[in-house]
Amino acid sequence: MNDIKEVRSAHLDDFYYKVKHQSGLTVYIYPKNKNNSTYAVFGTKYGSIDNCFKIAGEKEPHKVPDGIAHYLEHKLFESEDGDAFARYAKTGASANAYTSFYNTCYLFSCTQNVYESLEILLDFVQSPYFTKETVQKEQGIIGQEIKMYDDDPQWCVLFDLLEAMYHNHPVKNDIAGTVASIARITPELLYECYNTFYNLNNMVLCVAGNVDAEKVIAMCDKMLKPSKPIRIDRIFEEEPRHIVRARVEKKLAVASPMFNLGFKEDAGGPMAGVEKVARTDILLEALAGDFTKLYRSLLDKGLINENTFGKEYFEGPGFASVIFGGDSKDPDAAAEEIKKEIERVRREGIDAADFRMAQKSLYGHSVSALNDVGNIANSLAALSLSGRDFFGYIDAIADADIDGVNARLETQLMPEYSSLSVVKPFG
Amino acid sequence: MTEIQQQSVCGGVNFRSIKDSRFKTVRMSVNFMQPLSEATAAPNAVLPYLLTRTSRRYPDLTKLNGHLAELYGAQLDAYVFKLGDVQVLSIFASGIADKYSLGGEKVSEELSKLLCSVIFDPLFENGMFPKDGFEQERRQLMEKIDAEYNDKRTYAFLRCAGIMCKGEPYGIPRCGTKKDIENLRLENLNKVWSSLIHNAKAEIMVVGDCDPVPVYDEFSAAFHNLGRAEAQDYTNKVVKAAADVKNITEKQNVTQSKLVLGFRTGCAEPDVNVPAAKLMNVLFGGSPNSKLFLNVREKLSLCYYCSSLYDPLKGIIFVQSGVETKNIKSAQTEILKQLDEVKKGNFTDEELNAAKLSICNSYRTIADSPDGLEGWYLSKTFSDPAEDPEEEAEKVRAVTREEVIKAAGKMTLDTVYALEGSGAENK
Repeated sequence: MNDIKEVRSAHLDDFYYKVKHQSGLTVYIYPKNKNNSTYAVFGTKYGSIDNCFKIAGEKEPHKVPDGIAHYLEHKLFESEDGDAFARYAKTGASANAYTSFYNTCYLFSCTQNVYESLEILLDFVQSPYFTKETVQKEQGIIGQEIKMYDDDPQWCVLFDLLEAMYHNHPVKNDIAGTVASIARITPELLYECYNTFYNLNNMVLCVAGNVDAEKVIAMCDKMLKPSKPIRIDRIFEEEPRHIVRARVEKKLAVASPMFNLGFKEDAGGPMAGVEKVARTDILLEALAGDFTKLYRSLLDKGLINENTFGKEYFEGPGFASVIFGGDSKDPDAAAEEIKKEIERVRREGIDAADFRMAQKSLYGHSVSALNDVGNIANSLAALSLSGRDFFGYIDAIADADIDGVNARLETQLMPEYSSLSVVKPFG
Repeated sequence: MTEIQQQSVCGGVNFRSIKDSRFKTVRMSVNFMQPLSEATAAPNAVLPYLLTRTSRRYPDLTKLNGHLAELYGAQLDAYVFKLGDVQVLSIFASGIADKYSLGGEKVSEELSKLLCSVIFDPLFENGMFPKDGFEQERRQLMEKIDAEYNDKRTYAFLRCAGIMCKGEPYGIPRCGTKKDIENLRLENLNKVWSSLIHNAKAEIMVVGDCDPVPVYDEFSAAFHNLGRAEAQDYTNKVVKAAADVKNITEKQNVTQSKLVLGFRTGCAEPDVNVPAAKLMNVLFGGSPNSKLFLNVREKLSLCYYCSSLYDPLKGIIFVQSGVETKNIKSAQTEILKQLDEVKKGNFTDEELNAAKLSICNSYRTIADSPDGLEGWYLSKTFSDPAEDPEEEAEKVRAVTREEVIKAAGKMTLDTVYALEGSGAENK
């Protein structure tokens, strides 16, 4: 039997259905019936950090090459009778996929033939087909993808920072792996990972847009092959609390320097809930939003620009950090200024007006994000695979109080756990 | 439901509103259109950024940003882009629809007032824009150009367009060159501003869940107060065919080389053959079922991306790819070979239908996003400003195989630009 629940937002006139499907899959259906388009995401809790895992009941952990989750994503589009893009060509859907640190998601967007497109999505993701020849062919394509990122200064400045902060956690490894690590990938290894992580109990389907919930469920009934319950443990080497290096620098073919300033937080326990994420987001906005003293001072000194400066709470299984970044003529001076302001706020607490402006801003951005079915489906998938509630985040923003936000400074944004990564022009 | 209204405000100023409760936001923009020229590109480009920084009513940037934060993170910003040979200076505000404000604030009314205040009632000191604001915006505009250089895919594309269209207004960078920006003089900018609001054509767009009448009244009063004469007109030059092929190779210290090919199609708005050219482009390189994706990437594994892009205002098709230096020649040969296949009619009805479905899908998706709708109607300024995406989709559906072959037959190679990497590994 399928278990269907309707979930309503406390603040908005939106709702979705959460279905625990009899196959083991969790399905979300978010109706937006004034829309022309529908967006579907079929995702698994499996990403680049899963290079070592253990299945409950087995003795030995599995160790696999870096970049294999992403490689698998590329290869799943091929099946014995042609590739998924060719099938989507007949429905007009626009399809794609992505691999993050901890999820892999397959998606399409379409304005007609919704259920036919959904059938293709559910079918190809459940039909692996890996041979020596097809696996070999992908080396050239992914090799070029890796090299494209080698020239991307924003990508480099982030991964240099992660290497400077993390001793062992695989978040520091490039999502696509390296040319050397992907050369070790075989069809057997791909099947080993596929059979573990593409278990429907480890997956989620999110459909947002102009759809009929009953028809989506009917398609699930038709297409989903029941999976046996599985428990997969992600195995990470012990990650020390301290950082690796306080500063790293690389030279690239750029016109101006850029930086990422990271603050590592202890993340050994279970992943943060929506309240903690919301409080951290408010803290960062109140500290460095465009209405703050810090932002203005950095701008007036020419240390940042509005085009590229940003801040984010970068967290996932076994890792959590805050990252500030952007282009800057003097990254060290920008980092100093940010750290100084953090210490001031730690002493004096967040200003009540800054807290309110941050809270209102983030609330507005969350509401605005609900215009877009792609955004809804992808966020639903990401939150669900992290065990978080979709409307819960908006509620947590609206309900946050200043004490809770100030309390985040007790464990986060500690100067002794910070690293600075800089990319500079050659010469 | 969707309500589209269009009316003239005064000579050269047009107002268009798309009221639609599917959106949780409102977005309003004033888009000034100026002919692109080397002398005016940079002074025009800095102006919208300078204007959105402060106004007489909000003389301080940080307080203005605070006010926007209080309006649930509303955005007030500028964007400069090209539509054919025309430079568009877009000044926009967006925020949540009134019904979602927690404290009953009238967001849309305030946003239209703010927009009028920054455009028509700027802050002056001693009869000039404030010097510190000018210095900041000039610096940030120069850093935007640096950011374009840092993104190698964008950089290679812009270089190819610049080389191909040297001597045409389209060949001028959208914000002028870095040198032009560096040489900007504060004392000239009042005149630039005055000329902009008095003489430039302007398109006002309001999209989202709000009553457009008060917004119209606000802008109508502001424009009528100026006592505008008829707006200056502009032209758009279309080169029908390439005279000979320009081959340019530049070197940088990057891992992956970029190859960009520029073709003249001889077909630009408002030519009746534009839908055929659009379809031909998608068949050739505009989707994962295209000739370029299936052959250059999937069959030969030469690259991660190889795609084509059609600019219907200039009648130009660009093909972009990222390849190993040693493969530049073979990629170019294969791209031209695939074009020949289209010219010879070597494509199936399935390929043709897939391309049609793909275009129609993207057109129907436009109505689901305020940015999409704004972009659509602005790009229609040169052809039929009343045509909606569904009507255009209908025209593409009616295109025949022969028309596609004819459109491909008119393509001539104009420019081959290669950004050649040293091939050295950065990592």
